[in-house]
Amino acid sequence: MRGKLLAAAVAAATALTTPAMAQDRGGVLNFARYDGSKLIDPIYADRNPDIWMVGSLFDTLLRSSPDGNSVVAGLAESHEMSDDGLSVTLTLQEGLQFSDGAPLTGDDVIFSLNRARNPDLSPWAGLLGSIDNVSASDLTVTISLKAPDPTILSMLATFNTAIVSKSVFEAADGANDQEKSASIFAAGGAGVGSGPFYLSGFEQGSSMSFSANPNYWKVGADGKALPYVDGVEFQIIPDDATRILKLQAGEVDAAEFIPFSRVAELEADPSINMNLYPSTRIIYSPINTREARADGTPNPLADVRVRQAINYATNKDALIGLVLQGAGKPMTSPLMAAATQLSSDLGPLYGYDMEKAKALIADAGVAPGTKITFTTLAGSADDSTIFAALQQMWAPLGIALEVEQVDGATRGAKNRSGEFDIHTYGWVNDVNDPSQVVGWLGHTPTAKAVGTGWENPEFNSLFEASATEINAETRADQYAQMQKLYADSAPLLFMYETPFAVAVSNAVEGYVQTPLGNNIFEEATVSR
Amino acid sequence: MTDITALSAEATIPQKTRIELALRKPGFLVGAFIIGVSAMLALMPGVFAPYDPNLIDYVAVKQAPSWAHPFGTDMLGRDSLSRVIFAYTVNMQMAILATVFAMTIGVIVGALVGYYRGVADMVFGRVVDAVITFPFLVLVISVVAVLGPGLINMYIAITLVGWVYYARLMRAEVIAQMGNDYAGAGIVMGYSDRRIIFRHLLPNAITPVIVYWMTDMALAILLGSSLGYLGLGAQPPQAEWGVLIAEGRNFITTAWWLSLMPGIAIVLTGLGFSLLGDGLADLLRPRG
Amino acid sequence: MAIIQYTLKRLLLMIPTFFLVMIIIFLLVRFLPGDPAIAIAGDRASDADLAAIRERLGLNQPLLVQFWLFVTNTLQGDLGRSILMRAPVTDIIFDRLPTTIFLTVYAVSLSLLIAGPLAFVAALNRNKWPDAVIRTVFQVGLSMPVFYIGLILLTFLAAQLRWFPVGGYGDTFIERLHHLFLPAVTVALYTSAIIMRNLRSAIIEVLDAEYVQFARAKGLPDRLVLGRHVLRNALISTVTLLGLSIGNLMSGTLVTETVFAVPGVGRLMLEAIFARDYPLIQGLTLTFAVLVSVVFLLTDLFQSTLDPRMRLT
Repeated sequence: MRGKLLAAAVAAATALTTPAMAQDRGGVLNFARYDGSKLIDPIYADRNPDIWMVGSLFDTLLRSSPDGNSVVAGLAESHEMSDDGLSVTLTLQEGLQFSDGAPLTGDDVIFSLNRARNPDLSPWAGLLGSIDNVSASDLTVTISLKAPDPTILSMLATFNTAIVSKSVFEAADGANDQEKSASIFAAGGAGVGSGPFYLSGFEQGSSMSFSANPNYWKVGADGKALPYVDGVEFQIIPDDATRILKLQAGEVDAAEFIPFSRVAELEADPSINMNLYPSTRIIYSPINTREARADGTPNPLADVRVRQAINYATNKDALIGLVLQGAGKPMTSPLMAAATQLSSDLGPLYGYDMEKAKALIADAGVAPGTKITFTTLAGSADDSTIFAALQQMWAPLGIALEVEQVDGATRGAKNRSGEFDIHTYGWVNDVNDPSQVVGWLGHTPTAKAVGTGWENPEFNSLFEASATEINAETRADQYAQMQKLYADSAPLLFMYETPFAVAVSNAVEGYVQTPLGNNIFEEATVSR
Repeated sequence: MTDITALSAEATIPQKTRIELALRKPGFLVGAFIIGVSAMLALMPGVFAPYDPNLIDYVAVKQAPSWAHPFGTDMLGRDSLSRVIFAYTVNMQMAILATVFAMTIGVIVGALVGYYRGVADMVFGRVVDAVITFPFLVLVISVVAVLGPGLINMYIAITLVGWVYYARLMRAEVIAQMGNDYAGAGIVMGYSDRRIIFRHLLPNAITPVIVYWMTDMALAILLGSSLGYLGLGAQPPQAEWGVLIAEGRNFITTAWWLSLMPGIAIVLTGLGFSLLGDGLADLLRPRG
Repeated sequence: MAIIQYTLKRLLLMIPTFFLVMIIIFLLVRFLPGDPAIAIAGDRASDADLAAIRERLGLNQPLLVQFWLFVTNTLQGDLGRSILMRAPVTDIIFDRLPTTIFLTVYAVSLSLLIAGPLAFVAALNRNKWPDAVIRTVFQVGLSMPVFYIGLILLTFLAAQLRWFPVGGYGDTFIERLHHLFLPAVTVALYTSAIIMRNLRSAIIEVLDAEYVQFARAKGLPDRLVLGRHVLRNALISTVTLLGLSIGNLMSGTLVTETVFAVPGVGRLMLEAIFARDYPLIQGLTLTFAVLVSVVFLLTDLFQSTLDPRMRLT
């Protein structure tokens, strides 16, 4: 079968195209993952393999619409923002239950949201900083805010605000919330969440099982409660080649994170559907913009013309061909993937133009043979390919590109301390709102503009103003201005967007990975 | 650590006969030939490689072997044969630099503690235990992470661990040799410690060390390529067999030549060192 | 009782060794660039978030305090909680260690089955063609990188012929033998080559020894001579070799476990290093050191009981 192209995958993601055999119920879906979950708890999930599974075990009050541009009903059937933007009122659906059949009430919502915004507990508490108080009476939940917050509805559709059972937490073993959470997860079983599945088995670093939640509120195409499958079995196979072999041998029904170099081969396999789900993932390289390097030597990249020159000299289409075998597209917004709300389409950023690049370099007076170090992730075939290509692409500018391979933690530390020239990086949104990624990439106080040290007072004040701007048009205008500013001063080497590559056997229909990366199994079916 | 137990006897047959004996062994000749050719490729890769190993050709990626590219091209359109040949420089360098310092330090430390014993020997024993009971790859990976990846730091890391094996071997040999008459005679004749250690004990005790060295060089290439697989060894775009295999293993069914050719190079070189080591063992210890 | 005295002395000597190992690993992990906060949340969290995580993990305390806690807690059998897995380190290690031990024992058994008989054939036909063929084949096995040969076995024997499963490790003993066969063979390719070389030398040494030549000259049948002298000598040297290489063997499973998706301690260690999970790295290293030291001791005791020439000192 032909691999689905991006457009087709969007259609699948919207779930408008109900699977032809949606009424096929039962069976267990076997899924090969690249890395295992360690603890699936809305507020402690801090790694993608944890975050992306939260939605299977827990529900949020609201959900992102399939196109990612608005929110739709979740546990709350309706929501209303007050005119002054200082409170949100939500109405819970009637008869909600946790996976063990216990009722889900306003008390659970208060407990969960207070837990999520407690900075002593959750690394994500900062996302909910605007919340002043949460109260509930019967089915009505009221969230009052300290200041207007345009992101609040998106936050209520984000994994960290998912609802957990207050009584299960109160009854759990452990001296504090962390220990309670760990012991609930270790014990497994129904009751702590209300998502389509509950955790029924877990072996550290090797496997994990989800069983269907019999009390799930959402209804399938056949009028009965979702999910269609009885459960999902996960196996952790970190080696890419082995994971693919596992799928080809028929031992699993799906394998995620297929390297793009293998996509064409799997697309040609008649028994496999090679899915490329649109994502908010961008691959970019922060450039150190400080006047001097960490060791005190002058930094040629402090000159905006040099940064623009290397951007022009980078042939993104060639990179996409080499690294992604064509399965990607150049970034069109400097701050986010095109799939994100409020992204401006500025066309391909710094389209390949060697003449312009050479002129800028000459103008900046960069001496031929200038050494620049490119820091890559050790063991990443993609990064090695990117480096080899960039070295050749930038040679005509007189830049001698050198490589430094480090592991992820070292790269993170270098990013924080500014001990780098340029390094590879990637980003996937966690929140269905651009404020998170824009704060990360451009706002100096958050993380030194993704470690680049770039500081633009105009950008910073626009970002800070937008944080409380509830007029949609004004906010959109602020985001447009920020994107323009950012693109012009090029604190990044803008590279490309990539989809999520998941290969599934023909037996599987309806599995979706959302643009935020969340694995959605509630409408998946397996026919055996 | 391989067959050191079997190699401690003293040589009694004259040098010339021993060389003749060794030359009659096909294994030794084959080993010497492989290593000789490898050394030549390592020293002058440019003479033998048909292309620039790092030249990227976007339009000729993953081509099957042909007359123009006997080993095909890789995912960046680089000529595989040239990359395998240029990798000889790095991998042969690995074999030598990852082992020679460990051997030197190990031989000196081992000889000294074996000769003097006492407190130094006690301390040495604890250090050896600590290093040997430490997971080897963990130590190497951590040291490389601390110092930063790259070949030189990899050599430092391997040396930090590897010297212990040579030192243990040397210490045991020196202690065994001390039991022999000539060492005692040297002490009676009032020779300096230095003279006894370096002129008498060391030359007699070095044989198993040299034989172990040959095996160790083959293992160093393997270890280096494992680190290359983990991204901690040679740096791109430098070709190295481990990295070439790691790059090619994703295409094992579609572009098998990418991993097979460097695989053959590793196996051949390992075989060469091993045959040479066996031959040397016979040469230095003629028995049968 | 010489043996008891010797064992006690060796156990006492292990104390400074373990202390040294603890100091080395404690300092080494803290010298690694980055820290657990950056490794886990660093790609998205703000500077303030990272500071809060460090505070929570106690990474702001002075090094000496952290070391003191490490030593005192370890003495009480508490290796701390894994930062990455959020579970007690001892639980995690006891969960994963049996798999690695199983794999190692399995691989060593396979190696002995393969290398033992062939070493005899090679030694008895010294420098003739069977010897050359056997040694070359083993040498090829020794020179193959694990991450390559493993994938070749998986591709052809598992994915195409479907004789073996691609990954996982089964539940029952028989299932485990089946699931772990390919990883065990991969490790065995390497160990059997080393055992074969060593055994062959040991056998040749005995065959050349004067007392054996004498026994053969006296007309004792070869089989009897081989059985009596060769087997014992071969056993001693093989056990010694295996004992000494137990450390390399177990840490060598790191790559094998990654390629074959076997959830053992080798892969755990790699994960722990990448996540800068200090308690887990420290706990694994210490467990490893204890295990290897005990195996060394057992090897020496075994050697001394079998070989009267090996005095216990």
